[in-house]
Amino acid sequence: MVNPVLLIVVPLGFAFLIPILSLLSKKAAKYIPPIPLCFNIVVSLLLLPRALENPVVVSIGGWQPAFSINLVAGPVGILLSAVVAFVGLLVSIYAVDYIREGATDRYHMLFLLLLTGATGVVLTGDIFNLFVFFEILCISSYALVAYAGDKAGIESAVKYLIQGAVGSSLLLIGIGLLYGLFGTLNMADIAKALQSPSSLPVFVPMALIISGLGVEAAIFPLNGWLPDAHSSAPSPVSAILSGIAIEVGLYAIARVVFTIFGLSIDSTSNFLMFLAVLGILTLLVGEMCALGQNNIKRMLAYSSIGQMGLILFALAMASSYAVVGGLFQLVSHTLAKALLFLTVGYMTYRTHSLDVSALAGIGKRMPITSLAFTIGAFSLIGLPPFAGFPSKLLIVRAALATKECLFFVLIGGALLGTVIEAAYFFRIVQVLYFKDGNTNIARKQVPAVALIPIVIFVILIVGIGIYPKFITGLLSSAAAELLNRVDYIRNVLG
Amino acid sequence: MKPQLILLIAFGGAFLTYIFGKISSKLRDGAAVAISLALVAIFACLYGRPLQESFYWGFLGLNLSLRLDALSWFFAIAIVSLGALSIIFSLRYMRDRERTDFYYSMMLMVNAAMLGIVLSNDLISFYIFWEMMSWCTFLLISYNQHRALDAGMKYIIMSMIGSVAMLAGILSLYVSFDTLLIPQIASSLATASPGYVLFVLVIFGIAFGIKNAIMPLHTWLPDSYAEAPSPFTAVLSGMLTRMGVYGLLLITYVIGGMIGGTGLGSNVSKFNYVLAWLGALTIVVPTFIAMLQNDAKQLLAWHGIGQGGYMVLGIGFGVATANSLALAGGIFHTLNHAIYIVLLFMSVAAVQYRTGGVRDLNSLGGLVARMPVAFVGALLGISGLIGLPLTNGFVSKWMIYKALIIEGHPFLAFAALIGTWGTILSVYKFLHNMYLGQLPEKYKHLEKSPFSMQLPIAVLSSAVVLFGILPGIPLRVINKICTWLGFSSLDVTIWGFTSETGTLNTINLLAAIVVVSAVVWVLFHRAAKSVVVAQDDNYAAGAYVPRDKYHYTAGFYEPLFTMLRPYLRDVVDEFYTALAGAVRKSCGAVRRIYTGDVGNYVTYIILFLASLILVQLRWRPW
Repeated sequence: MVNPVLLIVVPLGFAFLIPILSLLSKKAAKYIPPIPLCFNIVVSLLLLPRALENPVVVSIGGWQPAFSINLVAGPVGILLSAVVAFVGLLVSIYAVDYIREGATDRYHMLFLLLLTGATGVVLTGDIFNLFVFFEILCISSYALVAYAGDKAGIESAVKYLIQGAVGSSLLLIGIGLLYGLFGTLNMADIAKALQSPSSLPVFVPMALIISGLGVEAAIFPLNGWLPDAHSSAPSPVSAILSGIAIEVGLYAIARVVFTIFGLSIDSTSNFLMFLAVLGILTLLVGEMCALGQNNIKRMLAYSSIGQMGLILFALAMASSYAVVGGLFQLVSHTLAKALLFLTVGYMTYRTHSLDVSALAGIGKRMPITSLAFTIGAFSLIGLPPFAGFPSKLLIVRAALATKECLFFVLIGGALLGTVIEAAYFFRIVQVLYFKDGNTNIARKQVPAVALIPIVIFVILIVGIGIYPKFITGLLSSAAAELLNRVDYIRNVLG
Repeated sequence: MKPQLILLIAFGGAFLTYIFGKISSKLRDGAAVAISLALVAIFACLYGRPLQESFYWGFLGLNLSLRLDALSWFFAIAIVSLGALSIIFSLRYMRDRERTDFYYSMMLMVNAAMLGIVLSNDLISFYIFWEMMSWCTFLLISYNQHRALDAGMKYIIMSMIGSVAMLAGILSLYVSFDTLLIPQIASSLATASPGYVLFVLVIFGIAFGIKNAIMPLHTWLPDSYAEAPSPFTAVLSGMLTRMGVYGLLLITYVIGGMIGGTGLGSNVSKFNYVLAWLGALTIVVPTFIAMLQNDAKQLLAWHGIGQGGYMVLGIGFGVATANSLALAGGIFHTLNHAIYIVLLFMSVAAVQYRTGGVRDLNSLGGLVARMPVAFVGALLGISGLIGLPLTNGFVSKWMIYKALIIEGHPFLAFAALIGTWGTILSVYKFLHNMYLGQLPEKYKHLEKSPFSMQLPIAVLSSAVVLFGILPGIPLRVINKICTWLGFSSLDVTIWGFTSETGTLNTINLLAAIVVVSAVVWVLFHRAAKSVVVAQDDNYAAGAYVPRDKYHYTAGFYEPLFTMLRPYLRDVVDEFYTALAGAVRKSCGAVRRIYTGDVGNYVTYIILFLASLILVQLRWRPW
């Protein structure tokens, strides 16, 4: 029997192994991260059949849930931990060649710690434990943003640190208040005791927790750190931050909102509507900022904000179709955005500039990379036959199925955002292929090690786009788990 | 043959062509021509054999299926034939250009996507192919770089607006009826509320109106046509834009139950009247704007918009008054337009190819002596465009006029007629400035067009005449489409048709014209022999004219130009440009939210939290 604890323990162990190992050999460090990540994928896949039947609940230290720290490996947890491990693996393969300068052993250690934190957040069933894993994730990402050691990196890392710290303290205060109210930290146990989120003593911790997590999940107006941090981090880190870290934040919000506070469409509280509006606002702000942006990585960062808004909107509709759509969008965004950052990493490395105009003519010099970029961009816009299409389709459909005027207006906003998104991504595609640029750049592909993850991402994006059934089954049970609070409580508390 | 197999050949061919291109360019050219001709052969064999087949089970719980019926066969055969001719035309035109592998595979891909559109039996596959067509088109329009980049952006943004509208419409239908199969939607929609039907019509009308460039949604078209590589412009103008017409016919089918049965819902009828009037507007304004153009491709592009107006007028009016003559005219005009506009763009492209890309009407002239085949193509093309008897354009325009007059809509008929006058003026300028008049010194030694360009021009020229004399050939298929759409049948013969609203017999016309020409020929033959004089003698009545000093093709219609120009601005385009500027500006303003100052950011966080709690304290909305 595989134990979900391994998903956290193994990467953590390897992370601490790296500094020790680097005493022996400086070069070995970069080959370490893929090992535990491979392991995590295998374990996730092994756990999957069991988790689909019934969430695997593990208590640590022999105490029964409600008193112990416990892990809940349900479909959502397994889905996300698999995504984290998978994207992490591909990015770590990419980083083998890409990360050359500086204290590489520390980079790889922090990278593994970040992924450990992310895995912990999606698996834990204890709200304080969630906070702890969140801090692991955040602190390693602060350090990774500053990894390059240049002025921009350090400045944005400090900004990120300040805002992240404010967010974390809000989260911690919220958790403290909940603990004071209910005397327990187990999510299922709080959920059982909590009746209505509307009363002020419950609402205040909810507001605190949502604001705190919202900082990491890049919800407008809490996302001031993101454009700086994502654009000045090294590209593999940007890929992980955009592809994993903010999604995990969003997952945490969904878990808290649905499971602990029990918001649902048919509850009297219309806080979800507010979140939906906030989602579309985030989407529009993100896309509008990305339009006309000349720094390619900053553009991608703003586009991440927009995508987070769309996912938040989908989750906030809280119907099963909508949540499936939201999770699908989460997966397709993760794949596409990670791909975009990875390709941009080598493009900008060649051109020595983050300017969009510097990418002119790259399509001829780096054909495969440019093609991969184009596919990623098309997928983000939601063009068929790429992965972004079915997810956008599900979200629009879910919004129309609500038959509520507000959601019609909001989905109109989302579609407007899509048009803006199309405008800036198509512009880049034109620059890549149809503008004559610097002919001094040699025609050279990215190194094979970096090409492998890029190609795998492309295959997945096209594959899922053509055959969405590949993941929709898993996604619908994940959505069901996320929405079904009563089952969650029963599964954990027995 | 299974329809999915056809699509597999079409799409697979596009990929194969790219791969072959990496091996050898000869192999690639051969493959591209072979695949496109194979598709023509397949569709020719499939005439009159309806097909229907599901090809994909469970795309997000939907079954995707394909069908082949009269409507889709009609469009499919036009797509593959024009596609094949454009590919053949490209062989020489694109030979020395770069990225030809990309070009050929995209051309085949666009054709494949269009085939997918017309073969789709459910709206999701329709949308998928529609979007693929859009992004392929974007890439092909941008191919020429420089100014083409802006044209491409304009195209794709308008196209995206149309397709998100369409997506909303499609999914709304899905949510309402729980199916996306077109026949099932048609039967469900018959019982829907009139308001909902109107919503469906408007939202799809926007999507198809943008693609078909109905005013005021036309602004993407002139630049895109002008800047795209010419053989692709042919495809774009001939069929791709007309996917909008196909879409309108599809809507007509979907609401078809209302036409045949209890009579038209008043909303459907009103919508189609509006559509007919928009069609009339689209005929008049762009045709006169076309007159002012000095760029051969821009001139044709504006005609592309104007001729689209005839189709929309025919279809909209036909549906509004349940008149099959107008509807058949609209559909037939789509085919006719495709034939002559492709012919005209090819004729321009042939000139471009020899003159090194010149398409400015003021600097060409007299090319009839150097490029006779291209001239004949242009002559027959403009004859079709004007609608001279015995060319194909005559028949379809006649059908539309007749229906308009008989149903008692003189103003619409008048608009259509004005359009024809404008067309005559502007295409004469087109023909004269390129092929007639003085041959500039630098073009004295141009070679005639290569065979691979002459062949498509010859084929299309004969099609213009063939369908003008024997309109019964396509009209039989069109008649089937009309009855399938729920309209009454026309009595079609090979020479024309008879119906209660009008009779057309081209054999009489043919006979009349043959007799008259014979008389004229005899008279001229009997008359005194004409004396051949140098061209310049004609111009200045014998006075000396320095060579190349006066170029009589420059400044054509100058007085008219100065008179009309103030009234013929493209106001809509200016409005959109201003709108785009405003959007960009407001985006810049929004970006100022991200000041870069961490103090501000932390303030946002705290303010957000504070206002959440405050709102709940004060109003308790949550």
